[in-house]
Amino acid sequence: MPSFTRGFLAPALLASVTAAAQAPAQFQESDFLSRARRLTVEGRRAGEGYWSPDGQRLVFQSEREPGNPFYQIYALDFATGETKRISPGYGKTTCSFFRPRTDEILFASTHHDPRSKELQKEELDFRASGKERRYAWDYDPEFEIYTLAEKTGRYTRLTNARGYDAEGSYSPDGQWIAFSSNRDAYNRTLGAAEQKQLEIDPSYFAEIYIMRADGSDQRRLTRVAGYDGGPFFSPDGTRIIWRRFDEKGLIADVWTMKLDGTDARQITDFGAMSWAPYIHPSGQYLLFASNKLGFENFEVFMVDIDGRKEPVRITYADGFDGLPVPSPDGRRLAWTSSRGGGREGQIFLAEWNHERALAALTAAPNRGQTAVTRRTGI
Amino acid sequence: MTGRLTIMRQKTTLALVALAFVLPATTTLAQSAAASRTRAHVEFLASEKLEGREAGSAGERLAAEYLASELARLGARPLPGRTDMFLPFEFTAGSRDGGSRVTVGGRTFAERTDVQALSFSDDADVSGAVVFAGYGLVVPESQNFGYDSYAALDVKDKIVVVLRYFPEDADEKTRAILARYSDLRYKAMAARQRGARAILVATGPRSPNAGQVVPMTFDTALAGSGIPAASISGAVADALFATAKPLRDVQQELDSGNPHVAGFELPGVTVRLRTSVVRERHTARNVVAYLPATAPVPPAAKPFVAIGAHYDHLGRGDRGNSLASKDEAGGIHHGADDNASGTAAVLAIAETLAQSPQPRRRHLLMAFWSAEEIGLVGSNAFTASPPVPIDQIAAYFNFDMVGRMQNNRLVVQATGTSPAWARLLERANVAAGFDLVTQADPYQPTDVTNFHAAGVASLAFFTGSHPDYHKPTDTAAKINYEDLDRVAAFAATLVRAVSEMDEPPQFTKVDQPTTRGTIAGVRVTTGTIPDYATEVKGLLLSGVVGGGPADRAGLMKGDVIVEIAGKTIANVYDYTYALELLRADQPVKVVFLRNGERRETELTPAARR
Repeated sequence: MPSFTRGFLAPALLASVTAAAQAPAQFQESDFLSRARRLTVEGRRAGEGYWSPDGQRLVFQSEREPGNPFYQIYALDFATGETKRISPGYGKTTCSFFRPRTDEILFASTHHDPRSKELQKEELDFRASGKERRYAWDYDPEFEIYTLAEKTGRYTRLTNARGYDAEGSYSPDGQWIAFSSNRDAYNRTLGAAEQKQLEIDPSYFAEIYIMRADGSDQRRLTRVAGYDGGPFFSPDGTRIIWRRFDEKGLIADVWTMKLDGTDARQITDFGAMSWAPYIHPSGQYLLFASNKLGFENFEVFMVDIDGRKEPVRITYADGFDGLPVPSPDGRRLAWTSSRGGGREGQIFLAEWNHERALAALTAAPNRGQTAVTRRTGI
Repeated sequence: MTGRLTIMRQKTTLALVALAFVLPATTTLAQSAAASRTRAHVEFLASEKLEGREAGSAGERLAAEYLASELARLGARPLPGRTDMFLPFEFTAGSRDGGSRVTVGGRTFAERTDVQALSFSDDADVSGAVVFAGYGLVVPESQNFGYDSYAALDVKDKIVVVLRYFPEDADEKTRAILARYSDLRYKAMAARQRGARAILVATGPRSPNAGQVVPMTFDTALAGSGIPAASISGAVADALFATAKPLRDVQQELDSGNPHVAGFELPGVTVRLRTSVVRERHTARNVVAYLPATAPVPPAAKPFVAIGAHYDHLGRGDRGNSLASKDEAGGIHHGADDNASGTAAVLAIAETLAQSPQPRRRHLLMAFWSAEEIGLVGSNAFTASPPVPIDQIAAYFNFDMVGRMQNNRLVVQATGTSPAWARLLERANVAAGFDLVTQADPYQPTDVTNFHAAGVASLAFFTGSHPDYHKPTDTAAKINYEDLDRVAAFAATLVRAVSEMDEPPQFTKVDQPTTRGTIAGVRVTTGTIPDYATEVKGLLLSGVVGGGPADRAGLMKGDVIVEIAGKTIANVYDYTYALELLRADQPVKVVFLRNGERRETELTPAARR
């Protein structure tokens, strides 16, 4: 199982969720995805590919350089096939995003931590010992959000709060950043129970924040116990979509809200781990990943933007399929999958059939009685 | 691609299970012949005229002439120091017993059902006292196991009798270890190293194929292995043990696996053994040429980049490796995918690079191998005495069965042979757009194995198996030329990239996984046909052998075996390993996934002769 911060909650791996009975398959993968193929080859693992606004590049995280067992950030150029590293090359990094209308790329990193190289060695030694890590992600409180200005090669640190600051993405106009942070657990005195919670699962305290692109004006948008993370702006820039875990970190669902945190609405309701949502550029539907078909079998689903219909399954492969991100023109899909073999993911790419997706959603049945009541459109 | 179960060199288990292919036929895309760089080559090589291109045959010679003239047309030259592009080599096309006989006491056995030389036997006429050495198994000390059938025996100048296989009743762990060392070649070597004059192999009464002689396996060795070796029938064994305990009782004691059950000299028995193996020797030809560099070669040396494909096939399938059904038997095996496709790909790559205005910083060596189908013999002849120093070759790219692409899936094997490959493949594939499946393992049933063994950074391209594999129906009409051209174009960009590198790709030796099963230990068949092109957790079946054990157990294409006889299966190696421990006719539980649903069935393995 790959570890991805924009949604994957590691402690939950230890528990088990009863898989919902599998509905008879109405579709197959080729109905929506064609010319599917593996994009990343180098290295042990890669994931979370996000498109540049012109669709010419993809920025992603990958473990592919000797000496660092943690993700670094890379950008792949579709025209040349060349891939270049965006992050400094040491420490841990995750969750990158192109800033529209600029040469800047955002990501989260711990490279300012003087122990970075020591931690890299520790992790490599740990791996060499043959043991398996219990937690897929450690929510290192050193994570801060940075940007790289590609032309000058200059890194700018945008956050300074103690605690995990990551999972950032830009608004369509490039002026705002939504991100996830568990800083709340570090800037106040925790009770004994909370302190224990922090040790077991620091993501419990993660909430959604927004800030201006220069790091100013940081505001907290959510205040519900349990991991809130993986926020992205809607294509029209008026709402934020994210995933919210329950307090135990077992069940996650996709939610949307306004940029001030009001009007929060739950979109999915599988009773499983549904996360990594991303809205199609048409604004009509969103893609997300869920393990409703089996605890370790994540598949990509789509659902109409209001969540009125039953979600439609997109991928049909064993293991992990998640973190779906449509291209800016809405005609391609990048996602992370373990279908190439092994436990770790790589990035896959396919042509996306938008018309068939719309038709399938139109034909999908309305959601059952258990669906939450919701208001009209967003 | 060779489908042999037993060939000279160590082989992977892949060949073991690739016995037949029952995938539904692929849809061949409609395409324009004019546009294809590969189609005309495939159509000629797979035509009736070339009669299946069997190594050493007239059809193979015609194919070689064609390839040499095509190479010349592209401006290729014979290798430095050579006057033409043909590199002939000798090989053994088959072997049969030439009149072996054994005399025990006063009684002579000369029927093939009583005594038959093993294919690797020396020709000799020897006699001597006889020592029974149990199963004749020696586990190397490095394994920390402690099993040596010769520990308490002096066999110098004696004739050794051993049992075939390994102890029948031993616990699973013991059997798993001993199975590794039960190959008859290995047993013969152990006897020879201890000074034995000859080795006789009997199949014990408590074993599968009880009392029968060992069939003469196909063996491409040019000579014997340094010791006379023959298998004997139960009748001969009984004559040998006439003055000792009955063989059945002796075997039963050994079958516990207790390493302290020793062999013994057979009192008063003298044996005379005459062995004779007739090896049918032929000459075949590799076709090798090169396009000289058109720019200064980088100072870091390794001035050659090599591309290669075997061009031989099965002829009419008489050498035992055909999978033709009864009504197809004896027909021309056209070998369009195997391997006119790879041959055409090499020509297309050479043509692309020869016509490109871009300068080449390395020489392009183009090689067409013969006698691949009988055990990678041609490429082995090349790497064993290379006409250009092998360390002058920066990289080798192999093409074997690249003409039947399905679902855009391209398998690239041997990626573990250099740390440079992943980046090159990723970069080139951004534009090419294949659904790449990479496999680090260079131990493949194709010529790449020999280049890895020779220390050359290598890659092998493969588009997967199909129901026409090793059958007369592997015809040119079924080739997917559009994707074959794409494979050639993709590989050409890789070849060019390597040509441009200042430092040649670093070579990494890949160890054969130790948990891998070996052919020697596998005595049963389950009739499964694994899908090698798709990696899943478990053993994904691309089909089952009709009427075989898996078929009878209700398994079918698409099923994923995840457990057999209590052993969890993560991959084909786990499966082969588990097979070693199964017994013929003893049903075992198989757990498999069908459409994601976990199911169980009972499978009864059949004996493999």
